Amino acid sequence: MSSVNIAQFHKVFFEESLEGLDAMESALLALDEGGDAELVHSIFRAAHSIKGGSATFGFPDMAALTHEAESLLDQVRDGRRAIDKGIIELMLRTVDCLRGMFDRAQGGQPLANADSDGLKLELAAAAGNAIPAAAAKAAAKPAASGGWSIEFRPHAGMLAGGNDPLRLLRELAALGQLVVEARLDRVPTLDALDPTECHLAWHLELTGAVTREAIAAVFEWVEDECDLSIEPIVAAAPPPAPAVEAVAAPAGAGAAAGTPRAAAASSNDAGSVRVGIDKIDGLIDLVGELVITQAMLDQFREDFDPSRLAMLQQGLAQLARHTRSLQESVMGIRMLPIGSVFNRFPRLVRDLSQKLGKQVKLDLVGEHTELDKTVLEKIGDPLVHLVRNAIDHGLETPDKRRAAGKGDVGTLRLEAFHRGGSIVVEIVDDGAGLNRDAIINKALQKGLIKSGEGISDEEVGELIFQPGFSTAAVTTDLSGRGVGMDVVRRNVSDLGGTVSIKSRPGNGTTFTITLPLTLAIIDGLRSAVGDECYIVPLVSIVESVQLPPDAVRSVTGGGELFRFRGEYLPIVRLHQQFGCANARQKIEDGLVIVVESDGSQVGLFVDELIGQQQAVVKSLEANYRRVEGISGATILADGSVALIIDVAGLIRLQSRRKAA
Amino acid sequence: MAKILAVDDSASMRGMVAFTLRSAGYEVAEAENGQLALDTASSSRFDLVLADVNMPVMDGISMVRELRTRAEYKGVPILMLTTESNTDKKMEGKAAGATGWLVKPFDPEQLLATVKRVLG
Amino acid sequence: MGSKSKGGASKGEVRVGMPADFRIAEVTDVHRQLGEALDASQILLDGGAVDRIDTAALQMLVVFQREAQKRGNTVNWAGASAPLHDAASQLGLAQILALPAKQPA
Repeated sequence: MSSVNIAQFHKVFFEESLEGLDAMESALLALDEGGDAELVHSIFRAAHSIKGGSATFGFPDMAALTHEAESLLDQVRDGRRAIDKGIIELMLRTVDCLRGMFDRAQGGQPLANADSDGLKLELAAAAGNAIPAAAAKAAAKPAASGGWSIEFRPHAGMLAGGNDPLRLLRELAALGQLVVEARLDRVPTLDALDPTECHLAWHLELTGAVTREAIAAVFEWVEDECDLSIEPIVAAAPPPAPAVEAVAAPAGAGAAAGTPRAAAASSNDAGSVRVGIDKIDGLIDLVGELVITQAMLDQFREDFDPSRLAMLQQGLAQLARHTRSLQESVMGIRMLPIGSVFNRFPRLVRDLSQKLGKQVKLDLVGEHTELDKTVLEKIGDPLVHLVRNAIDHGLETPDKRRAAGKGDVGTLRLEAFHRGGSIVVEIVDDGAGLNRDAIINKALQKGLIKSGEGISDEEVGELIFQPGFSTAAVTTDLSGRGVGMDVVRRNVSDLGGTVSIKSRPGNGTTFTITLPLTLAIIDGLRSAVGDECYIVPLVSIVESVQLPPDAVRSVTGGGELFRFRGEYLPIVRLHQQFGCANARQKIEDGLVIVVESDGSQVGLFVDELIGQQQAVVKSLEANYRRVEGISGATILADGSVALIIDVAGLIRLQSRRKAA
Repeated sequence: MAKILAVDDSASMRGMVAFTLRSAGYEVAEAENGQLALDTASSSRFDLVLADVNMPVMDGISMVRELRTRAEYKGVPILMLTTESNTDKKMEGKAAGATGWLVKPFDPEQLLATVKRVLG
Repeated sequence: MGSKSKGGASKGEVRVGMPADFRIAEVTDVHRQLGEALDASQILLDGGAVDRIDTAALQMLVVFQREAQKRGNTVNWAGASAPLHDAASQLGLAQILALPAKQPA
């Protein structure tokens, strides 16, 4: 018997169900704005799939909850009940509750909790169902000892429908001893016969320890396609002895009692990406081209005549071109549309604006813009924070907007687009803009600045990114989360990106997040430090300078500073930081690379710069362990390994050292 | 070995069905909605069709109705994959020409038992 | 499509062959041949190649046999495969079809 481990389908089930929940949520929100019947159908389908899947894959609690949701949706679908705000609200809560259940399922925890149980009852009440107690199974009827007499007359269409009496009779014969008598009374002439229609009938006698249920199960699919009678054969005498106790065959009924299975926690969290067939086809094409080029180059191996140099060069150029295309295409596989992140915002915006008594119209632009999967997974939280921030602090209440001569409804736009080698995500609101005075006062109060004199608008904007800064005049439950704009900036900078803010007093605020296209490849500057080689990401580099010995000042505690564009910056000697042998010691013998992250700068002291190159990032954690100040490793053309500098991490290390 | 067409918009359910049947040696083609199933059923003939009821683009019931109008699918078993709550759907599927049904949830063993039953 | 050769048909004898897959979707051809065969005095049925057969096909053979008997045609079997035998017996039609003795497998 083949045994199939059903847990292997859990991951796909989780993925598709979470997508289904997203679809369900957006359909519910659209319905809230007055949608059509197709929306109800798509909501129903999503709930229905999750119900079927959860029952099949061993999550009975989830199946029970979706069952209640489904019956309510079914009433809406077939018009027994009109959709209203209450139902939409209830369904939105179901979506949330199911998301929680999926979270717990992935962690291998019990799925149901007080919330889900309560919601299940609410759904059942709304659908007018009482949750049935486990239905008592009808006691198995004893088998008729004398056997069964069966009259079976199929309707004409049974054969075409795929139920072959031959199969049914074979199944009966497997239950006991079967005596078959065919009835030909309704058979037409050959001429008049439609051979796809059934005109035969049968009288059957089945003996053995067979229950009526077992017989009925054989005919289960054809009840509507035949005339059927199943009667016990009455033995003349003596009266039937108490029948042997037989257990009803659990043919169809067995499904009612879903066997709970332990939700095996999948430790494999490597994640997966769905890839469009066109992308795969593109890759296959490119590999085909590569093979051709390789074959072309191969002919030079045997005999190379200098007169064919031009051809060789052409072949090599082709190879380079194909390799580059292949690299781009492979990177493309990791790219996913940002729409999957944007999707959560309609709900968030709706809930938040309702809570705050604001009217907000959300515009999503550029949902098809693609981002690296890793970037995509990590950009969600910062975006949520900025959107909350925009609704909480940026957009005004309708009366304030009216007073400012604006329409009641504020607009919040999320837009993603490509710019150069980067992805830009803008969060634009048409609210009041930054409150310059409030920010300066707060900064003074927190000791972030000494005086409010001569501070530019850009500098005011920068202030809100300072750790511990909070602008809310009233602490709402939305902003009191202990997560500030500094964390947003930190998260974005961990992704190799930047956040900036632009305020238009009275007209709104724009946050601009700029992200690298991919985390898998970076452009870097290769620098030698003793026997080692380090890659410094190009995006972080401001300038590299050679310093005379007297440009460096030692400070108490062992640090070094140098003057750069009117400011003193700390020097990080990489050979000291990472313990490299044979490195240059004198400042004048090497170079200082000025790097920047989060608005802070430091100088990295290296022996010399070797050149610029693209580096394919390999995880150091996966292959070795995490090292502070290093974001990964790459393999150089000669096969040796170079480490990639984590500029943000080094700067954090530096400031910690300074504070210590 | 018999050829089976598995139709379900849920990748996990389709995956489970296809994997189970392939493990048992059947040849399996997959389609994610009724329309695609009809296309697949045109290019190749199947000995059995397993179809979900609720699917986008074209649902399972419309698919069965269409498939049964084709001479080469007369008598070919078509089973609807339906849920317990959907008793109406069972009958609707039957009226459209389905052979029978398999009630979700089912496990791989139940699936194989039913498939063996209809394929003989 | 199996063996549906009509070869060897002398004046009065017609041979009707049945395909390996002799099921509902494939019965039309044999239906026509059987109809034509009723005009001959001697009819030879060849079910030796039948691998898969269903009620629709067997019902058609039953209808044919009954009609041939009524008309007084002579019907003989050139061959009947094991699947044909088994199916006919299961449906209680073996006698009516006057199948020859079962061939050893």
